[in-house]
Amino acid sequence: MSHAAQMSGTARRFPGNKGIWVGISCEFLEFAVMFALYFIARAHHPEAFVAGAERLSRIAGTAITLVMVSSSFLVAASVDALRAGLRPRALACLSAALVLALAYPLVKFLEIGWNLDQGIGGNSGIFFTVYYYLTFNHLVHASWGIIGMVWVLARLAWGAYTPEEHSGLEALGSYWHATDIIWLVIFPLFYVVN
Amino acid sequence: MNVRSRLPSLTLVWLALVALSLGSLGLGGWLHGSPWLPLLVAAIVWCKCFLVARRFIEVGSAHPFVARVVAVFIALAPAALVLTSFFGDAIARWASL
Repeated sequence: MSHAAQMSGTARRFPGNKGIWVGISCEFLEFAVMFALYFIARAHHPEAFVAGAERLSRIAGTAITLVMVSSSFLVAASVDALRAGLRPRALACLSAALVLALAYPLVKFLEIGWNLDQGIGGNSGIFFTVYYYLTFNHLVHASWGIIGMVWVLARLAWGAYTPEEHSGLEALGSYWHATDIIWLVIFPLFYVVN
Repeated sequence: MNVRSRLPSLTLVWLALVALSLGSLGLGGWLHGSPWLPLLVAAIVWCKCFLVARRFIEVGSAHPFVARVVAVFIALAPAALVLTSFFGDAIARWASL
C-alpha cells in the first residue's frame, strides 16, 4: 500500500504495525489502572496530594517534560524526513531524539537523589508511594522505548528503511509518542495541581 | 514516492507543546489553591495529548481502532481530574472498601 494511498484516507492504517498497537493498547490499559489508583488515593487524601506536590522538584518534572516533548517531536521529524526522501536529516533527527531521550533517566536519577536528600522516600506517605509507583513504571516504559530507538537508529543507518517502507521507524514513533502522552498526563498530576 | 516535508507544522506543534507545558506550570503558581485550577489543567492536558495524537501519531489517517484507543485514553485522566476535584468526597465514599 503506497504512502499516498494511506494518507489519502482511502485506506485507514495502523501507524507502524498492528503488533505495536497491541503493545500500546496494553500500555494504555496498564496506566489507566494506575491513574485510577492515583485518583482514588487523591479522593481519599486530598490534603496529602496538595502538600506532596509542593515538596517535589518542579525543575526535574519540567525538564523531563521538555525532554519527552522534544524527543517525540524529533522522532516525528525523522519519520517526516524519511518520507520526503531526506535520509541524512532523518538520521540526524533520530540521533538527536535518542540523545534527548537519554537525558530522561539521568534527570530521574538526579531527581531521586534530590528527593532522598529531602527525606522523600517511597514510604513518606500516600502521595509519594503513588508518585514513585507511577513515575518508576513510566521510566521502565521509556527505557524500552530508548532501547527500541537504538535498534531503529542502527537499522536506519544501515539503510533498512526507505521512503516507501519504514514501518519499523513509524512503530517506534507510535510507541514513543504514546509514552510521551502518558508523561504529559503524569506531569501535571504530580508537579502542577496543588 | 517522496512526499513534501511537514517539518514547519511539526515545529509549530512542538512549540505549542512547550508553551502549554510551561504555561500550565505558571498557572499552577498563579491559581494556587483555586478550585478552577484542576479544570484548567485538565483542559491543557487534553489539548497537549490531542496535539501529539493528531500531529505526531497521525490518528486522523489511522485505523478507527487506533483513533478510538487514543481518544479514550487522552480523555480519561482529564475527566477524572475534574470529577475528583468537584466530587472527591462522593468518589472516596464510592471507592471505599
